[in-house]
Amino acid sequence: MLSRAAQRVYWTGRYLERAENTARIVQQYSQLLLDLPEEVGVGWFELVRIVGATDAYRASGKPDTETDILEFLLADAEGSSSLVYALRMARENVRNTRDLLPHEAWESVNELYQEARRSLGPAAKNEDRFEILSECIGDCQKITGILTGTLSHHSPYHFLSLGQSIERADMTSRIIDVATAYIQHNERLVRRYGSSLWTNVLKSVSGFQMYRQYCQPQVQGYRVIDFLLRDRAFPRSIAFCLDNARSSCAALPRCRDTGTALDKVEGLLQPIPADRLSAAEVSTLMDNVQKCLGDVHQAVTATWFLLEDGA
Amino acid sequence: MQLGPDTYSATDFYDELIDRDGKPRPHAAKLVEYFNSMQAEELIARQHAVDRTIVDMGISFTVYSEGDNIDRAWPLDIIPRAMPGDEWDRIEDGLVQRVRALNLFIDDLYNDRRILKDKVVPAEIIDSSRNYLQACRGFSPRHGVWANICGSDLVRGGDGTVYVLEDNLRVPSGVSYMLENRNVIKRVFPSLFLDHRVRQVSEYPTALSGMLQSIAPAAAPGDKPEIVVLTPGVYNSAYFEHSYLARTMGVELVEGGDLVVGDDDCAYLRSIDGLTRVDTIYRRIDDVFLDPETFRPDSMLGVPGLMRAWRAGNVSLANAPGSGVADDKVVYSYVPDIIRYYLQEDAIIPNVPTWRCSDPKHLDHVLAKLPELVVKPANESGGYGMLVGPHATSREHEQFRALLKQDPRNYIAQPTLDLSTVPTLCGESLEPRHVDLRPFILQGDSVAVTAGGLTRVALRKGSLVVNSSQGGGSKDTWIIEAGT
Repeated sequence: MLSRAAQRVYWTGRYLERAENTARIVQQYSQLLLDLPEEVGVGWFELVRIVGATDAYRASGKPDTETDILEFLLADAEGSSSLVYALRMARENVRNTRDLLPHEAWESVNELYQEARRSLGPAAKNEDRFEILSECIGDCQKITGILTGTLSHHSPYHFLSLGQSIERADMTSRIIDVATAYIQHNERLVRRYGSSLWTNVLKSVSGFQMYRQYCQPQVQGYRVIDFLLRDRAFPRSIAFCLDNARSSCAALPRCRDTGTALDKVEGLLQPIPADRLSAAEVSTLMDNVQKCLGDVHQAVTATWFLLEDGA
Repeated sequence: MQLGPDTYSATDFYDELIDRDGKPRPHAAKLVEYFNSMQAEELIARQHAVDRTIVDMGISFTVYSEGDNIDRAWPLDIIPRAMPGDEWDRIEDGLVQRVRALNLFIDDLYNDRRILKDKVVPAEIIDSSRNYLQACRGFSPRHGVWANICGSDLVRGGDGTVYVLEDNLRVPSGVSYMLENRNVIKRVFPSLFLDHRVRQVSEYPTALSGMLQSIAPAAAPGDKPEIVVLTPGVYNSAYFEHSYLARTMGVELVEGGDLVVGDDDCAYLRSIDGLTRVDTIYRRIDDVFLDPETFRPDSMLGVPGLMRAWRAGNVSLANAPGSGVADDKVVYSYVPDIIRYYLQEDAIIPNVPTWRCSDPKHLDHVLAKLPELVVKPANESGGYGMLVGPHATSREHEQFRALLKQDPRNYIAQPTLDLSTVPTLCGESLEPRHVDLRPFILQGDSVAVTAGGLTRVALRKGSLVVNSSQGGGSKDTWIIEAGT
């Protein structure tokens, strides 16, 4: 398989996953803000922080209003932090690897992108936001479904799956990070609304049901974090994503360095203590997880995408 | 729908299916009968089915500068263009003859230059051609063959004679549409093929891959040399074809950045397994973009060092760089002489009479008769930069007169041909539209010709411009065996 094609398929996986997660986060956040009183001090800007776009947003000079922020995160055609941008890049990558992927994948991703260009502007202004984002999530899942359901499990599949796993693990860590940030800032108020907050976190990764069925009925912060970090059975937990990434890498040639990088992330996933939940510690932990995932990405790039010139 | 004397407007042109009395030509009798039995509504419904199939199959071509929406569905008319098998046999012989001679010619130009020394072709025409590449002097590719894939455009004049209009020896395109046109027509009119013995075209990818294998460097693994198709990328107008051919041959479609030439002058592919050796490159990018070390240093499409690897005999390029020298329209006018010179035979398919503006006598004639002539630049393709005298305004005539005087070497002129027509569904009726035909000829260790080729049709009434980039359509082309 060509390095260039491998890189494009890998990024298809990442951008599709990023698009879906952006939609999930915005949707659940919009719901959350309906439940929390204003004095909790949870504002829309947290969303910008969650996707790691603080600097880009500040540079844009836009005010921290709901519409401006959501416009930036959903519909901004120029910036690289928006959902529509992730879809455009996914489409671009699929377009350039059409020969490797099922035909329906191209059609669906093209349709989704065209639809998103039309609908995400209004969604930012809160016209049918919930429905539009639900549809977007569903359409992303449809494409993932087409790919996992019809793409043979050869190298292209493994690169797609690898990109998806790394991106998903990264997004899950960001979601946890933001939740802990509230706790850090508003300990007393959030104690009152904490359950609502953690329920929301679980819902943003569609994990509420699975948590209650397989973890425990009560929603407790440390347990939620533990579940999202270390549950090896829940498909959006970081541990699950790592297992997936590991088996993708194992199916590819020359995978030693990526395995080492994945081990480092794994090493960070220690049990979260019940008695004492320090927001600062969790936040540092998530930063480290993201950093180590970045190292995994570097290892993937160095191993398979960037080959030195000359024989 | 009746394709008869009353309903199919007789014209002064030669129609491929209907004779001057409005009767079907013998080879097309059953075909005409079939379409005559259909009502207009049914024809239109079938055309819609064809259009839908084309969209479903993703058959598209790309037009530059249409923003985001750059893929257009390929236009295919439902009525096939049919030719009798025995006529085609003669044309096929003529094409084989032509390509053999052209390849001997190119090989000679870059080596002994005998034909120039013997003054059959004037040396200044070659030496002033920008397609004559100094970087190719003194080299001979495998089997001495430079143009491995040739697309020669054929037209039929008013008296029924088939001419070669031009030879495309650089990176001729269109063959994927020939293949897909047949696939679509088979899907939409399966029963038609039961009544006719139509020569197949589907073997082309196998023949192409066989040819590419046959030209691989002698040192390459004989059983399975590594073949790739090199494309400028997804935004190229022929990207569909590049990817189609790579897919149907089962080889990698690569861009310049996927290839690298090592210090050992060998070409390699950047793959997830590391660098792997490449033996034959079917390149679909123009000569000047091939290698920034040799040609345009700003080329982002090519591979630095590729010419080095080619000249070292470590990688084969199809077509070989420099083949375009015989693609020049001034050189074209000498092809009958070239055939006689190398093969001691007369050309089986005639050339269209051509005036060379570089010749002062010819130029005078052209300037005087400009409104009746077609003027073409020597080195453009795709129908760009040409003047169709009878269809142009007097201002355009003046502009071209100035151009011709300024740069006579770069222009040729030909009589405006009465291109033959084929019934074509236009709106709700069948009307005659002008067509040409591009067969594809492969030469490696042997020569092969497609049965028929790509028929292009000028969809606008009276128009002679068949290029898809300029509003042309296409037809499935049938070579029908005699007695069916």
